[in-house]
Amino acid sequence: MDEDILQDFLVEATELVDQLNEQLVDLEQSPSDRDLLNAVFRGFHTVKGGAGFLGITPLIEVCHRAENVFDKIRNGDIEYDAAAADVILRAFDVINDSINKLNEGSRDLPENDPSLLAELDALTKGALMEVPEPAEATASSEPVLQLEEGLDPDGDITDEEFEALLNQRDLMLEDADFAQEAPSSAPNVPELKLDEGLDPDGEISDDEFEALLNQRDMLEMAAMESAPEPAVEPIVEAKPAAPSPKPQPVPTSSEASGGVKAPAKNAAESTVRVDTKRLDEIMNLVGELVLVRNRLLTLRSSQGNNEDLSNAVANLDHVTTDLQSSVMKTRMQPVKKVFGRFPRVVRDLARKLGKEIELELRGEETDLDKNLVEALADPLVHLVRNSVDHGIEMPEDRVKAAKPRKGTVILAAEQEGDHILLSITDDGKGMDPDVLRRKAVEKGLMDELTANQLDDKAAFELIMSAGFSTAEQISDISGRGVGMDVVKSMITKLNGSIDIHSVLGEGTRMSIRVPLTLAILPTLMVSFEEDNYAIPLTSVQEIFDFEPDKTNKIDGQMMVRLREKSIPLYFLAEWLRPDRVKDSYEDDKVVIVSIGNQKVGLVVEQVNGQEEVVIKPLGVMLKKVSGYAGATITGNGSIALILDLPGVIQRFQY
Amino acid sequence: MNEGIQQELAENRASSVSGLDEDSSYMGPSARCVLFTLEDEIYGIHVKKIREVLRVGKIRKVAGTSSSVLGVINVRGVIVTVLDTRIVYGMQPKPVTDLSRIIIVELDDEQTVGMMVDFVMEVKDIPESKLEPLSSTKDNASRYIQGIAHYQGNVIILIDVDSMLKELI
Repeated sequence: MDEDILQDFLVEATELVDQLNEQLVDLEQSPSDRDLLNAVFRGFHTVKGGAGFLGITPLIEVCHRAENVFDKIRNGDIEYDAAAADVILRAFDVINDSINKLNEGSRDLPENDPSLLAELDALTKGALMEVPEPAEATASSEPVLQLEEGLDPDGDITDEEFEALLNQRDLMLEDADFAQEAPSSAPNVPELKLDEGLDPDGEISDDEFEALLNQRDMLEMAAMESAPEPAVEPIVEAKPAAPSPKPQPVPTSSEASGGVKAPAKNAAESTVRVDTKRLDEIMNLVGELVLVRNRLLTLRSSQGNNEDLSNAVANLDHVTTDLQSSVMKTRMQPVKKVFGRFPRVVRDLARKLGKEIELELRGEETDLDKNLVEALADPLVHLVRNSVDHGIEMPEDRVKAAKPRKGTVILAAEQEGDHILLSITDDGKGMDPDVLRRKAVEKGLMDELTANQLDDKAAFELIMSAGFSTAEQISDISGRGVGMDVVKSMITKLNGSIDIHSVLGEGTRMSIRVPLTLAILPTLMVSFEEDNYAIPLTSVQEIFDFEPDKTNKIDGQMMVRLREKSIPLYFLAEWLRPDRVKDSYEDDKVVIVSIGNQKVGLVVEQVNGQEEVVIKPLGVMLKKVSGYAGATITGNGSIALILDLPGVIQRFQY
Repeated sequence: MNEGIQQELAENRASSVSGLDEDSSYMGPSARCVLFTLEDEIYGIHVKKIREVLRVGKIRKVAGTSSSVLGVINVRGVIVTVLDTRIVYGMQPKPVTDLSRIIIVELDDEQTVGMMVDFVMEVKDIPESKLEPLSSTKDNASRYIQGIAHYQGNVIILIDVDSMLKELI
């Protein structure tokens, strides 16, 4: 299997699968939407084409059958009802898994479950019995590449053989498409047109031949425009306009370009795929440019009166700022990328639990840093599952509570300054703070007195502590595996926060606030003499002067008293400046940070204030050194090390 | 173009040609290396592994690293670890002088590491015929050494950067 071609296929297939995921659920809502049906059909067909070329048999089998089913649906032979959707979605899951496995590097896919294939066949056959005719279309839509005799299909092939296969394949895809675009009478499709009066079977002159060639090129151009990577992975739906190799008489070229059905591809035409590493590189260089600009700005103010210089620097200032924000934007992806999977998640869950739920997506177009989009997927799935499973009640209970049978879950995203606010709102039963308080006592998390002192908000937050599950019964949907505590730590890792608001009987709203980008981190700059360190600001709770008479040494550990609580103190200098003996910590500062549900005080020499920094990796040589999350370059060009608080704590605790 | 300049160019060409002739009438394949010194020995690293050579600026110490790591520097926005090559090779550390340089070597396209050396001499083409693998010396030292070259009256120790750094990561 050619690894490069496989990678290209995977990139495209992954996108297609993402689209299909959404389209399939949409389709269930509006089963008669022709465009959607066609899009789904094309999606399966394209994946099959690529898989066929690479000889990934399990994938071909499923795609092929799914495609057949959709062909029937397109022709109105069968309905896309919930039962059909279940089978198709299962088939889709198999495809999705296969693609994921390939993406993860595994090259051997398991055999398909024969019952699934049989069910898919049954779906198609159900239609066949009513309409026996379209067998021809089925047959023609199955391109099989033929190796020349005597070649080992698993062995290496030469370039020529490869080329030959490629050509074969293209031809087949075209043929298949001709057949599908017009199942009734195949040759009646856009092709090249001979001038009037010419005998199509007769000899043609060179000029006429030229003219035909030109026509052909035009058609090809039209096809190319809608197919971004035709060489590697010819996008099938864009190809019907491609010519058949021999000039034959048929309609006009304008019809041909009209035949290019690629409405969804229009957006893709104006985009380019760029390696994220390259973007990171550009980000980095822009960061440097900003530093140079800053230096120029300081120089300008010291030079004073040169107006030209001053204007030029001011200009540079504007351009750099714009450049910086444009480059930042290139890393952004719409949050739709994460939201896209939820209609399916909610649909499946609702069907399984026998609930009626409508999922509303809002603010899908909100842009978010690429890494964040990926990192948010799991926590959000968990929260949405929670809403569906624990939040929304059974339809009968809802009716009894004078609510509409159908529950609503709203998944929303919006930008809030330099943060993104994601919220999951349900109109379910809400949470009872008293039950939570009682649970906390039962689980031994706290005594009754403390529990009763918690206000409602603090009580809701209990669900995010480790070992806290309110589900009386553990279902296979939630209440096991990733708990809310994991969700919280994942969000914390992204420098975000979670807020819970719930009204008993009315519903729950979980709000997640994350920074727009992971590349820039708000920090608190602290220092020991000239050495700068950055502490992630989200963990910083408060800062106060170190006062020796407020500390106690308990079991060998220095503690500081803060509002009737003792908090362990870690003297960072012991670790960071081991060569220096420090006898007095007078005038030092204590920075209280919280990590998870633990609070500690870090003793530092100086606090220099807030700074937003660009995180840079420390490199392979220092990867193993714990306690650092990376480094950054400060405004004056010096390096500050960014502390990784869990790592720091570990250093001091063990 | 006036005659004076032409004259000069001609002379330059002549001298450079004669310079080559003097060392090697042989024009076979050669390895272009950056030569540097540590103590009294001359070392060479193939230029394809070297990104650049820098003067020693401010090196930021990183607490908790091994003694062979001097710290990190900022090379145009990229944080690069600097090794004390003397310690890596088991020599005593020596304070930085005006002649000290940091050679930035490439592990791959993204990862670079700086090596602090005493003095960078020049870039030389060493004919491959002059290279010879190291005959048996101590095991632990030879890991970093690709071979030695006797060239122009010097012994040049050629360093295998990849295996040296692999050892340290």
